Amino acid sequence: MEWRLVKAEADAPMASADEVYQEQVAKGFLTAKLDDLVAWGRAHSLWPFNFGLSCCYVEMATALTSRHDMSRFGAEVIRATPRQADLIVIAGTVFRKMAPVVQHLYDQLLEPKWVISMGSCANSGGMFDIYSVVQGVDKFLPVDVYVPGCPPRPEALMQGLTLLQEAIKARPRPYSWMVGEDGEVSKYQPSPRDDRTPVRMRVTELEEPSHVGDAPLSKELLRQKSPSPATPGRDGTGKRR
Amino acid sequence: MKVIEKPVPETAAGEPGNELEALRQRLGPDIQIQQTADGIPNLWVPRDRLLEVMGGLKKDYPLLFDLSAVDERVRSHRDGLPDGDFTVFYHLISLAKNSDLRIKVALPEGDSSLPSLTSVWPAANWYEREAYDMFGVNFDNHPNLYRILTPALWEGHPLRKEHPARATEMDPFRMTDELLDAQQESLRFKPEEWGMSRGAKHTDFMFLNLGPNHPSVHGVFRIALQLDGEVVVDAVPDIGYHHRGAEKMGERQSWHTYIPYTDRVDYLGGVMNNLPYVMAVEKMAGIEVPDRAKVIRIMMSEFFRIASHLLFFGTFAQDIGQMSPVFYMFADRERLFSIVEAITGGRMHPSWFRIGGVGQDLPEGWDTMVRDFVDYMPARVDHYDKMATQNGILKRRTIGVGQYNSAEAVEWGITGPGMRATGLDWDLRKQRPYGGYDQFDFEVPLAANGDCYDRCVVRVEEIRQSLRIIRQCLDNMPAGPYKADHPQATPPPKERTMQDIETLIQHFLNVSWGPVIPPSECSVMIEATKGWNSYYLTSDGGTMSYRTRIRTPSFPHLQMIPLISRGFMIADLIAIIASIDFVMADVDR
Repeated sequence: MEWRLVKAEADAPMASADEVYQEQVAKGFLTAKLDDLVAWGRAHSLWPFNFGLSCCYVEMATALTSRHDMSRFGAEVIRATPRQADLIVIAGTVFRKMAPVVQHLYDQLLEPKWVISMGSCANSGGMFDIYSVVQGVDKFLPVDVYVPGCPPRPEALMQGLTLLQEAIKARPRPYSWMVGEDGEVSKYQPSPRDDRTPVRMRVTELEEPSHVGDAPLSKELLRQKSPSPATPGRDGTGKRR
Repeated sequence: MKVIEKPVPETAAGEPGNELEALRQRLGPDIQIQQTADGIPNLWVPRDRLLEVMGGLKKDYPLLFDLSAVDERVRSHRDGLPDGDFTVFYHLISLAKNSDLRIKVALPEGDSSLPSLTSVWPAANWYEREAYDMFGVNFDNHPNLYRILTPALWEGHPLRKEHPARATEMDPFRMTDELLDAQQESLRFKPEEWGMSRGAKHTDFMFLNLGPNHPSVHGVFRIALQLDGEVVVDAVPDIGYHHRGAEKMGERQSWHTYIPYTDRVDYLGGVMNNLPYVMAVEKMAGIEVPDRAKVIRIMMSEFFRIASHLLFFGTFAQDIGQMSPVFYMFADRERLFSIVEAITGGRMHPSWFRIGGVGQDLPEGWDTMVRDFVDYMPARVDHYDKMATQNGILKRRTIGVGQYNSAEAVEWGITGPGMRATGLDWDLRKQRPYGGYDQFDFEVPLAANGDCYDRCVVRVEEIRQSLRIIRQCLDNMPAGPYKADHPQATPPPKERTMQDIETLIQHFLNVSWGPVIPPSECSVMIEATKGWNSYYLTSDGGTMSYRTRIRTPSFPHLQMIPLISRGFMIADLIAIIASIDFVMADVDR
């Protein structure tokens, strides 16, 4: 964007019409495929449904609050009604008594819609192989991303969200059932766990959990008590993995 | 610090033996007495005398703490107990005498019905519905003996021994249109079933379904409301959407591997849930826990009390309309969780207590973290107090709303902060100090009015008291082992393994099967984050529990909602629900 400072005087020279025209032209054009543009828009304006089943919901709520702040990824407009949302995070155990309600809510979500299965219970039943629990929400809902953990940390949910955004961009869904084929073209996607296996296998020594390590709390509070120049952390190289 | 257990007030204060004898004299010779490991006298009462006996006992034992059943059909160690296929038990508490009594009734399989206690204790209503749902025991003259935890269309009674435990033993779940329709239909609220009329002289009532998914019901909880305009005429809470079968799970996990399931009962209470369970197992096995483990347990439990109360505080303010407090409180929860994580490795569900102690020793540097936190937090609590509890709007929304008095609290089995908000000075940590709490200096916060505001104020003050306890743990952490040197303490020390074949076998069995607990019954209750939580374990001399009864505080708390919300507006009901501080896992288990 171009900008200039102009004195607030009545006879100050205005930008010439040509300059304005050129500026508008530079701003106003974007060449992209419509599909990509729509997918990009969808990926970064997910509206999650305010829906929780059990313990995982507390970690999901934590992901929305200050320290984690999921809104950085463009998915913070939590809606209280499924009719205004296009993402449902199945946060918790799917109970037999609750499953028809979950199905009912899913049916009410706006198309196109996505499902994140959060936590072991929603993924597979987890540790609750018990009469009252459905062994995974994918027994009746199509799941886009599975987030492991019991419950998953807020960071894990945020990673799940970014994975979903990548998937939305990579596998666009039709605009409506009236335009083109219904459903998405499913592509094989390796799991992030498999991706990282080679890196993880290189670790030969695991640290004993005998000291608190670089505990975030102490560092944070110490900084508050005595302001000292921040020391670069271990990952302070600025490089992404 | 030396932790000395006070002699547990096992039966009635004073002279337990005499009191029990007097009770037996009064009740008659057909009452059989059984002693259990927890020291609570168990009185076996013939079922035709139940109402008469209970009616007489209510004067002395006004709190119906628990009511459930046991399927006795495959139990091998029933030495001297009256014959019966099912046992229904009633746990009564006298606050004045600080004593407990358990009444038991034996029932044959073909004829398992007994009189309902709802005419004596209104709080028996839900408990009897649960016993009916789980065991198929019939309670005559119960006003609405419907299923409460399982879906209305469920077949069988899950806690009967013949009912499958695993989902994978049953037919796989399939979502069909028929099921969807049938279940939606079964959820249709029919006012007549609950004795409600559809209209009064000048008004037609509206029936509003709130939940099971609603942002302000704190989980999967449903209330059907009978409304006159915006005023709540009556309400019917509907639970069971969060039933995870935690009690049935106890019958198939080893004593040790059940610990993670306890974390998930009150999922905001973390390791505090482990405490009553491991203490009950330790009592049955006769394990004496070392002082260091006791103090570590208390410290971690109090951390989780703070975490739970912070979440309560934030969501309470949010439900009343303050948007920001919850962000402050969650940020402090994160500070707290970084300590929990450094010590236990987990966040919400560390499952870190063990039979005989805790999972591992405190890590190097723990004291700095804890000291930072207890130095930092009190000023924050003051700040939040000013921000939320001193706020005029919040006060006007909550003072005088959802009020009940001490007598009603006892009548309905309300415990914990909800009980103390009425001015009743009863904290199990003071009245029946367990696990070393008698060595700590703290106060029991009380309020007087028993309304939504007081329930909040009591919890805020409890955060300060918990910080006080944690500071004492920090300053006086005893040295020594973090786990008992006892053959039943699990898991056994690895260092003793590789000596010879005997030690290897010992270790292998203790790790794979876990400890074998002698046949006994034991219940332990603690002052959990939301009220009194108790585990009543029955061992049949095996590697698994024969019956695990989890008495959770939130269950009776929800039952009381109609009583305290009649005549208020819907918005007040939201405040009432928020002030109760429940999680559905703590209700439905």
